[in-house]
Amino acid sequence: MRESKLMFLQYLTGLLILIFGTFHFLLLSYLAPTTNKVLYLYLGNTHQLIGGTLYYSTVKEIYTTLLWGAMFEAFLTVLVYHAFNGFRVILSEQFQGPRAEKIITYTMLVIALIIFIYGSRTIVVLLTGGG
Amino acid sequence: METILKGFGEVVKTVTFRVRRYDPEKDKSPSYKEYKVPVQKGMTVLDGILYIKENLDHSLSARYSCRMGICGSCGMIINGRERLACQTQILELNKDLIKVDPMGNYALIKDLVPDLEKLFKNHRAVKPYIIREEEKADAEYLQKPEQREKFAMFTECILCGLCVSACPTNGADELYLGPQALAQAFRYIADNRDLGFNERLNVLDSKHGVWRCHFSGSCSDVCPKGVDPALAIQYLKGLLTANVFVKHQQEGAAKGEPRKSVLETL
Amino acid sequence: MTIENKKGWISWFNPFKYGLDRWMYALHRLTGIVLGIYLILHIFETANILRGPVTWNSIMVSLDWPFGVHIGPIILSLVFLAAVYHGLNGLRLTIVENGLLLPRPYRPEYPYKAKSIRGLNLVLKIILGIVMVVIGVIGVLYIFTGVLI
Repeated sequence: MRESKLMFLQYLTGLLILIFGTFHFLLLSYLAPTTNKVLYLYLGNTHQLIGGTLYYSTVKEIYTTLLWGAMFEAFLTVLVYHAFNGFRVILSEQFQGPRAEKIITYTMLVIALIIFIYGSRTIVVLLTGGG
Repeated sequence: METILKGFGEVVKTVTFRVRRYDPEKDKSPSYKEYKVPVQKGMTVLDGILYIKENLDHSLSARYSCRMGICGSCGMIINGRERLACQTQILELNKDLIKVDPMGNYALIKDLVPDLEKLFKNHRAVKPYIIREEEKADAEYLQKPEQREKFAMFTECILCGLCVSACPTNGADELYLGPQALAQAFRYIADNRDLGFNERLNVLDSKHGVWRCHFSGSCSDVCPKGVDPALAIQYLKGLLTANVFVKHQQEGAAKGEPRKSVLETL
Repeated sequence: MTIENKKGWISWFNPFKYGLDRWMYALHRLTGIVLGIYLILHIFETANILRGPVTWNSIMVSLDWPFGVHIGPIILSLVFLAAVYHGLNGLRLTIVENGLLLPRPYRPEYPYKAKSIRGLNLVLKIILGIVMVVIGVIGVLYIFTGVLI
């Protein structure tokens, strides 16, 4: 693909990440379905977790809604593209030549697919009721 | 008269020049040598280097010519930053130790003399001339003053090569075109007399072309003539992004009256 | 017989002696790499939700108290600040690197100071700084105390 198309997608995914990322932070704070919006709620002075927005039941409640699940899938897609295209740019500035280009592009593509599939597995399994 | 000339000819202080030396016939790798140089008011770093050459060490090599900041020969790294040696006043540096290195990102021939072949090769690669279809130009191509203002500032480049030395991408990437070549590419694409956008597109839109610039602004920061290559490159990026959706059409120039060349009338 | 004189791969992280833009570029790259590594680790961490409530809660506690020290909020705050800087600077670069909000071509006058890194670009950088401080303070306060402003 032409470099200008790849870079246009880099800018576009960057903007989308800003929007989705704000939602991600808001979900864990302002929009969380608990009354006390703290991240970790411990039992007294112990290290035992009994509530908070990172508690198991809170997280499960947020992420099993279809709307937020779909948003996380889209978030994962744009994040994976932006991050691994960025790594490809940084690496191809350090190593030049046609052979190095091929190795870098394919390595980044493979790792990106692995991360994408692994992350989607979490989202899809949660959405369909497992976990 | 005496008050105007007071200070000229007087040695104000003595500074130490730490110059990077490298002789290809003798040394394996570069090393630093120190020289004590007496400084008068108004002395430039180039004056200091010529003082060393005349009085202290005849073997010091440097490139210089006009000594007034227009030929672009004396680019060096002085106290960590790219400057023209003839345009840098020693007293304005405000230091007692002046470190002089040759420009980075070029091959080194000897002492302070870099091999500028990379600069010229990249410049040629963007086809820095007006490209048209007809083989023989038999009439003027008309250009209004407003059309010239769109690219006039980028014609002031003196090919000193300081921008390529300062650019962080040039430090790592061997094949990157460099801010000088990219700014000149914009100078020709924005010229309304030119019709060669598509011919230059492949080399500009490549993996080591315009998109490896990340706007660190160092090129514009060090340019001694204020050419601002970073500005040209960002305009060029805008053109290439728009080109993804709508093919860019160059303006084109009206032709004047056909004229005979003077030689034909003789 | 010429020799190499490259500044080398580390030159992107040598922002001394140049202007503010060079510092912002170095920080943008650094935060990009940090966030990219954090992304990979985060995907593996969040996959643990499929292992049930007991495992998930104990992992969350051990991430809040690594090695028994309460530095969890510090790590989260650093990642949050890196994301805010990278995002806001990226927004500025998206605008400026497409030719918008840049000065029109001008004739250089002595002392030849480049206008593309000053002017409106400078205004954008100041706005970036102010917004980053505001969001950073709100976010870090929330991470440490759970209090929302």
